[in-house]
Parts: sequence; C-alpha cells; structure tokens
Amino acid sequence: MTDIRIEVTGLRKSFGELDVLRGVDFSAPRGTSTVLLGPSGSGKTTVLRSLNVLDTPDAGVVRIDDVSVDFSALPPGKAGRAEAARLRAQSGMVFQAHNLFPHRTVLQNLTEGPVVAQRRPLDEVVAEARVLLDQVGLADKADAYPYQLSGGQQQRVGIARALALKPRVVLFDEPTSALDPELVGEVLAVIKDLASEGWTTMIVTHEIRFAEKVADQVLFLDGGVVVERGTPGQVIGDPREERTRRFLRRVLEHG
Amino acid sequence: MLLLLLGFLLPAPATAQPQQPVVRVGTEGTYPPFSFHDPQTQELTGYDIEVVEAIAAKAGWRLEFVETQWDAVFPALDAGRIDLIANQVSRNPERAARYGLSSTYTYSRGVVVRRTGDDRVKSIDDLAGKTTAQSSTSNWAKVARDAGARVEAVEGFAQAAALLQQGRVDAIVNDNIAVLDYLASTGSRDVEIAGDAGQAGSEQVLALRQGDTALLTQANQAIVALKADGTLRGISEKYFKANVSVPDGGDADLSQGRGSRSTWEVLRSTAWPMFVGLVKVTIPLTALSFAIGLVLALLVALARISPYKVLSGLARAFISVIRGTPLLLQLFIVFYGLPQIGLKFPPFTAAVVAFSLNVAGYAAEVVRSAILSVPRGQFEAASTIGLSYPQTLRRIVLPQAARTAVPPLSNTLLSLLKDTSLGSVVLLTELFRESQLAAAESNEFLALYSFAGLYYWVICVALSAAQKRLETRLNRYVIA
Repeated sequence: MTDIRIEVTGLRKSFGELDVLRGVDFSAPRGTSTVLLGPSGSGKTTVLRSLNVLDTPDAGVVRIDDVSVDFSALPPGKAGRAEAARLRAQSGMVFQAHNLFPHRTVLQNLTEGPVVAQRRPLDEVVAEARVLLDQVGLADKADAYPYQLSGGQQQRVGIARALALKPRVVLFDEPTSALDPELVGEVLAVIKDLASEGWTTMIVTHEIRFAEKVADQVLFLDGGVVVERGTPGQVIGDPREERTRRFLRRVLEHG
Repeated sequence: MLLLLLGFLLPAPATAQPQQPVVRVGTEGTYPPFSFHDPQTQELTGYDIEVVEAIAAKAGWRLEFVETQWDAVFPALDAGRIDLIANQVSRNPERAARYGLSSTYTYSRGVVVRRTGDDRVKSIDDLAGKTTAQSSTSNWAKVARDAGARVEAVEGFAQAAALLQQGRVDAIVNDNIAVLDYLASTGSRDVEIAGDAGQAGSEQVLALRQGDTALLTQANQAIVALKADGTLRGISEKYFKANVSVPDGGDADLSQGRGSRSTWEVLRSTAWPMFVGLVKVTIPLTALSFAIGLVLALLVALARISPYKVLSGLARAFISVIRGTPLLLQLFIVFYGLPQIGLKFPPFTAAVVAFSLNVAGYAAEVVRSAILSVPRGQFEAASTIGLSYPQTLRRIVLPQAARTAVPPLSNTLLSLLKDTSLGSVVLLTELFRESQLAAAESNEFLALYSFAGLYYWVICVALSAAQKRLETRLNRYVIA
C-alpha cells in the first residue's frame, strides 16, 4: 500500500472574475518530490499557496498526512481559521523572495516558529536549528543578519527555516527564480539532498533540467487544471499534450 | 520697631509674654502683593501682612496666620476659627452691618491710565470713541464702556499695559492699587496715571466679628497711631511707591530706585521657575500624552486596516475629526466642554486626554502607512511559520514598521512638546505659563519669551539627537 501524503481533490480558486484553479486533482506519496510546471498564470503557485492556506481555496479538499480540510465546507470565523491553521502547520514554505525576517539573525529566523508558534523549548530548538544550518552549509552564519548573506545563502536559510518547523511536506515556490544564475546551483543542491533524504517536497520551478533529475512525478498545469501528470521521463521526455510540448520548447529555448 | 522685630524673630509661644492675646488672622496667602509667599524664602509676606504685623506690634498681639481661600474666609470668621481678616476687605454696607470693620488702612479708587505724555487722555471724559484694554469680567470694563470707549478684552493688567505701551489701545481704566503695583514692580515709565475714573473710591479694612469690640478698639487705636507715626506710609511706599493709606495718595513716585529689576535679574529669578515648569509639567505632559497617544494610534491604525467596515469607518472618522479641528479647540472641549456632561478632569488630566487623542489622530496614519510599508511577504512568512496575527504584528511587523515610522513620529513628538504650551490656557503652570506670569510682573516680554523659547529649543535638539541614534539602531540590520 502506498502511503499518500498529499491528496488534492477538486481544488478551485478564483480571484474576482479570474478563475485561477478550475478543479485540480492530484496526490503525492510520502517521500516523493513533485514538480509543478506550467506557464505563468497556469495556477501552479496558487496550488502551492493553497496547500499552505496562504490563499484560501473556494472549494475542494486538501489532505496532508492526517489533516484534511474541505474548503467547500469551511466554517466561517474562528473555527475556520483554526482548521486552516492546522493544515498550514503540516507544511513548510520556501518563498521565491525568501522573505527572511531582516531584523532577526539567521538563527532567530529558524527558531521563531518552533519557539513562538509551536512553544517548544528554546535550547532544544536552537540545537536542532544549528544542525539544520550545518546541513545547508551555513553553520558559521548563525549570528549573521540576512542582509549580510548572498542571495543563495539567504534562500538556503529560507529552506532551513521551513525545515525547522518539522513539517510533513516542504513547499518550494520558484525557489531559484530570484537568484543570480551562478547562485542557483547551491540552492538546487540543497533541495535535491532533501528529496534524497526522504522529505516529501513539492516544487514550483522553471528549472526543467533540475526537475528531470529530482522529480518523482511532474504535474503540468495550464488554465487552472492539471493537463498532464507522470514521471519526468513521460511529461518532460515524451509529452503527450500539445500544450506541454509548446511550453517545454519555449522554456528550453530560453533556458 | 523692636517689638515688630521681636514679632518676626520670636514667634514661638514659649518666648512670648503670657498676657499677649493670640490673634488668628485669616488671609489668602496667594494674593500678591497683598498676601503671598516670598518665592525665595517661602515666608508669608505682603502689604496686608506687614500692616497687620505692625498693628499687632502696636496693640501687643501675638499673631497666628491661617491661610484660607477667599470664599471660605468670612465663614471662618463666623465660625470663630479666625479672629480677623487681613486681605484687602472692602468696606460696604452689608459687611458693615454684619461685621466689626476697622478704620481704613488702604484707600483705592478707579484711575485712567495712558501712555506717558499722551495728552489726548486726561480723564474719563476723554475715553469716548477711544479703545481701552480691560479684563472682560471686571467692573472697570463696564465703566470704560459707559464712558463711550471700545473695550478690548485682556487677561490681567500686565497684558493691558503692554497693549497700551505698544499703542494698540489708548487707555486703561483700573483700580489704582493694581496700577501702582504694576508700576512699582516693573518700574515701567511707559504708562502713567492720567486721572480719576470718577467713581467712588473704596476703602480696605480689617474685618472682625461684630461683638469683638475690645479687639476692634485695639486695632483702630493702632491704625491711628501707625498713620500718625508714618509706619503705614512706609509699608505702602515699600510696595506701591505711593501712599495708599490716605484718601488721595497720588501717583507712584518712581523717582528714586523704584525697586525695578534689570532684565538680567528678571531672567535669573525666572529661569528656575521656568525650569520647574518644564520638568514638572511640560516634559511629563509630553511624555505621558505621547505614550498614551502612540498606543491609541496603534489601535486606531489596526482598526483602520481591519476588514471590518464598522471598525475601519470609526477609525477613519476619528482621524478625520482630530485632524480637521484645531488642537486648541479640542483642549477647550475636554477642559470646558466635557464638565457640562459630567466629565470633569483636573487640568493636567484634561491636557493629557486632549493631547493624547490628538497624537493618536495624527500618529494613526503614520503607524498605518508604516505597517503597510512592511512587505506582504513578511506577513506571509510569519503566517507560514504559524504565528498568530498579534504575534506577527508584535514580533515581525512592528519592529520593521518602526524604521519607517520613527522620522514622522519624531515630528509628532516635537510638535507635541511645543503644543503643550497651549496647556497654559487650561490653568496648567507649565513652562510657557511661567514665562507669561513673569512677563506680566516685569514687563520683560521679549527677554522672557525668548528665554522660554530657548528651553523648548534645547529639548527639541536633544530629542532630535535621540531620534538620530534610534534611527541608526533600527537601521543596523539593513545597512551594512
């Protein structure tokens, strides 16, 4: 029996007149990496943000591990917010623009969530945070402020901050798009390590070559639906859909 | 004289002769130059105090002063808690019927005051069509109006004298003792008594209980003797440079010395009271109003950006009203207006209420835009690591918003510091009020107001320096 860690059914979301998600369904087994591909405006970032409830879907069910939320039946007010918070706590989010807290040191960026939100003891959290920093190659930067780091280092702190929450799933929203090309590699290397360590990850990216190497499954989104789903070999190597082929051609030409 | 001296030096009962009756004297103690505390020594002194001490020395009384508010002084006499009143009590038929009134020791009358040498104003008859400066509530305003003058309302004689001196009004009608007091204490030669206001003069007497005839007789004998030996004249000239112990004491004789102080002396003696006003009122008022105002501003700003329409509408209305009405008016509403619906605050509290609401109105917009200046990603990152909205505000957003908010909030603080001078109109003896009081006494408007300005300026410079340091601190995680 496969252990399904993420299960998304009938996910819908519109911003005003614009239907961004029009019924997205997929699932991801534990310990796998799922890469979301698609042209801009296809809804891939919205899928990711829905998992973390940064955007609240209008309808559909999201289950991560043992927490499941039916957004069609989300109670209003406090109860709904509590449910959303429980789902959010299942995942860690890595942003395109890292969104580190500029007034906190690297170590404090990592400990903030576990100590303040999860109310875990500081010394235990600090010890774990140092291990994580070591893992992303930044053990010596614990007391630096974010502005003192390079873009790649900042993004690696962003990843460590997400991991410090001990989430069931790590979500990456275009983690390398804001980086100078020479800094992309170090970040991708860290993400690849996570995947091989058994973390369940979900990655929105334009790095096709990286997706081929790291992904267990690739979802191609267009127009708010999953157009094609399969292994990297299937979706990237031998796409069945014309829309997928067109997209890949365009990205690979420019990339 | 020796007895007088003894009365001063040996007030203790043990050294007094046993047959000396103790006479308890009711007096205000807050009514310069008649009954007040010397600012240097804190001793009770004044014209009426010296007169009653001279009487006591002649009559062989031992005095015990009981300081009482004017409203309570006659009831105190009725109740036997004091034996006589020495506080410029005017003789009138009602009092004459109820109390034992002594012989007159002070005569006063209405006079017309003009710019020195201004021949257009010689008497009350010349006031028709001219402008006078009067306290709006005084009887003298009515006298001037009846004489055909246009009346400018002022607060107190010193302000009136300044306007007269500057040529902004033509004359003043007032009680001659107030005029003499002003001339004697300021040494001003710029205004002078032109003539009589044509009103019946008034006589100031000691008031005793009606049945206390023995004491009254002693007092009257002493007053006659003190008039004869020139003691009363001496006390009068010490305070007023004129003899007000006779019905027509004439103008102030300012020929020799006249007790006026140099600008430098005035500044030296006022520097400390102004500093006290600064430290005890201006700074606490500023600090307290700013602190409370900031907390309110944060709440208003949060209400303003909240998704609840009613809340944000209320916040918007509050900001609009505060920013759309004068601060002075807000202060008057709190101090004079609210008591009419039962909300009566002491002056300091009223000022704190008005100023902190004002700060809240202005700072709310600053705080709101500072919060909105924090990138959305910071809110999202905070939410993603599980922080609640209050935690996000306190730990992530506000520390970053502070960076944006400090410069405009510093401006609000500096404005507030200076605006607290408006507290002077709601009975707060703060820095500016101290300089006003001193200026009224000495006529040194330019020097004293400039000096007060210096105090404000120094504090503002210090605050600006503190602002710089704070900004550097808040920028430490942004600038390498």
